[in-house]
Amino acid sequence: MSSIVVVGEVDGNEIKDVSQQVAAVAAGMGDVVGIVMGKNVAEAAMKLSTAKIIIAEDDSLENYDPIKFSSIVAQVVEQTSSTKVLMGATTMGKDLGPRLAAELNWGYLGDCLEAGDDGFVRPNFAGKVLAKSNPTSPVVASIRNNAYPAGESWSGTVENYSGNIPDSKLTTTSIEKVGAGDVELTEANIVVSGGRGLESPENYDEHIRPLANSLGAAAGASRAIVDAGWVPHSHQVGQTGKTVTPDLYIAIGISGAIQHLGGMSGSKIIVAINKDAEAPIFKVADYGIIGDLFEIVPVLKSKLGN
Amino acid sequence: MDIVVLVKMVPDTESRLEIVDGKVNESGFKYMVNPYDEFAVEQAVQFKEASGGKVTLLTLFSNDTSIDTDLRKMMAIGADEAIVLRQDGYRGDRPSANAKVISGAISEMNADLVIGGVQGIDYYQGATGPMIAQMLGIPHISGVTNLEMNGDKFTAKRQIEGGLQVIDCPGPVLITCQKDMTKVRFPALKDIMMSKRKPFENREVSLNEENDIQTNECSLPPARGGGVIIDGESAEEKVDKLIEKLKTEAKVL
Repeated sequence: MSSIVVVGEVDGNEIKDVSQQVAAVAAGMGDVVGIVMGKNVAEAAMKLSTAKIIIAEDDSLENYDPIKFSSIVAQVVEQTSSTKVLMGATTMGKDLGPRLAAELNWGYLGDCLEAGDDGFVRPNFAGKVLAKSNPTSPVVASIRNNAYPAGESWSGTVENYSGNIPDSKLTTTSIEKVGAGDVELTEANIVVSGGRGLESPENYDEHIRPLANSLGAAAGASRAIVDAGWVPHSHQVGQTGKTVTPDLYIAIGISGAIQHLGGMSGSKIIVAINKDAEAPIFKVADYGIIGDLFEIVPVLKSKLGN
Repeated sequence: MDIVVLVKMVPDTESRLEIVDGKVNESGFKYMVNPYDEFAVEQAVQFKEASGGKVTLLTLFSNDTSIDTDLRKMMAIGADEAIVLRQDGYRGDRPSANAKVISGAISEMNADLVIGGVQGIDYYQGATGPMIAQMLGIPHISGVTNLEMNGDKFTAKRQIEGGLQVIDCPGPVLITCQKDMTKVRFPALKDIMMSKRKPFENREVSLNEENDIQTNECSLPPARGGGVIIDGESAEEKVDKLIEKLKTEAKVL
C-alpha cells in the first residue's frame, strides 16, 4: 500500500477538526504519515489521528509561509515515498496545496467534497456541477470541512522533522484579529445568514449577529447586502463569496439568487425565513417559514438562546 | 514598477449548465473577465499611477473566441497593453498546464509584481497563481484584502480564519486578490476611447500536457426538493414547530 501524507493544522492546543477529518479519510487509503508544522505545536500535533506523526517545530514556522511549508512537506513526501498529500481546504490548505503540487510536479484537486479510493469529487461553478476524477498519478488534494467525520486521536509514533527549512522572503509582521470571537463561516456547524429582507445594516447587527451568537453559529450574508456595504465580504456566502457546508443553514430575508444557492446548497439542513412565498430559497429549504422576519427572528432567538 | 496582471476568461455566471454524456455542455457559454481579476487590474493601475511603470494584462484562452471588448474594458481602467496567449484546445480546469504556459510568458517580462484574482469563478481551485509563483521561483501571497507598496517592498493583508495575516515581501512577488481589496473604477469616456489604441497582441501557444488530474465525469448535484412550509397562527407557534423539527426530525440542534 502506498503512503499518504496528511498535513495537520493546529489551532491553539488542538488539532483542527478538519485535519482530523482528513486523517480519517486518508486512513482508508493507505499508510498515513501526519506532518504538523509550527512553533510550540508538539502537544497539539500528537493529537493528530495518524499512525505516524512528524513534527516540524521552529520559531520561523510560527506563521504559515508557503515557501517553508511547501518545502517541508515535499521533503516528507520524498522521505516516505508517498504518492498522495491530503489537507483541509482551509486558507492555509488552499494556498499550500497548489504550490506544493507544482513543487512536486503532481496534480492538484482543490476543495474536494469527497475523497477516497473510488475517486475525488470537487465542485465546479460554485457547486452547480460536481466533477469526479480517479487520479492514477500522484496528487495533492485539499478537502472541505464537514465532508467526513473526524478521526479520533490515538497514540501513533512521533518523530521530529529532520529535513531543512528554506529561507523565505515573506515576513509575517502581525496577525490582526477581525471579529474576535466570531465563528469562522467555513468551519461553522451552524450558519445564520441575512439578506436584503433585513432592510438596513443596523438590522443585521440587531437580528443576525445575536442569533448567530446565541447558537454558536457563524454570521453569513447575501451578495446584495455585501455589495451594499452593510457587512464585509468575509461574510458573503455564494459563488463570489464563501461556500459553506454546515449541518444547519438558516437563511433570513434572503430570496435565494442562484449565485447564493451555489454557496450553501451543500448544507445538511436548510431553514428559510422569508415573507415572499415565491422566493426561490424555499425550493431548496428543508423547512420554510413564510412570514415577517422581524416578528419571527426575535422569537427564534429567545427560544434558542436558552 | 512593471506589473503583470493575470486575467482569466470565465463563463458568465448566468451560463446554463447542462450535462451531456458526463461533460458540461460549453457550446452556449458566453465569457467574461473573472470578477476577482478586475480587482487586480485596478490595484495594478493604482500602483502605476503612484510610481510609474507599465501594466500588462496576460491572458491564456482558446483561439476561437474574441475577447477584445472585455480586455479593452480593463485597458480603459488604465492597463497599458494586453497579451493574449491563444491555445487551441485550451481548458480552464488545467491549472498545472496553464500555469506552465503563463509562467513561461512571464519569465520573459521582468515583472516586479504579478497579480491576479484569488480564484476563477469557474473551477474555484485558486491553484494557478501559487503554481505560477512556484514555477517562477518567487513567493506568493493569496487571498489578499489589502496591498500596499513602499518602494520595492509590499505589505499584504491576507484573509485567514478569524483575521488577517500581515505579510511584508520585496518584489518580485505574486499576489492574488480577494474581493474587498479595492473598488474598481468606472472609466471615463476619454479613457475608453484611448483604450482602443493600446497595444493588443495575440500570441499562439501550443497545447501542453502537465500533471493535471482529468475529470472523468461531471454531474449535477442531487436536486434538493423543497421541504415543508411550517404553518402556524403566530410567530411563536411557527418557531416552536420549527425548533421541534430541527431537534427531533433533522437532529441538528
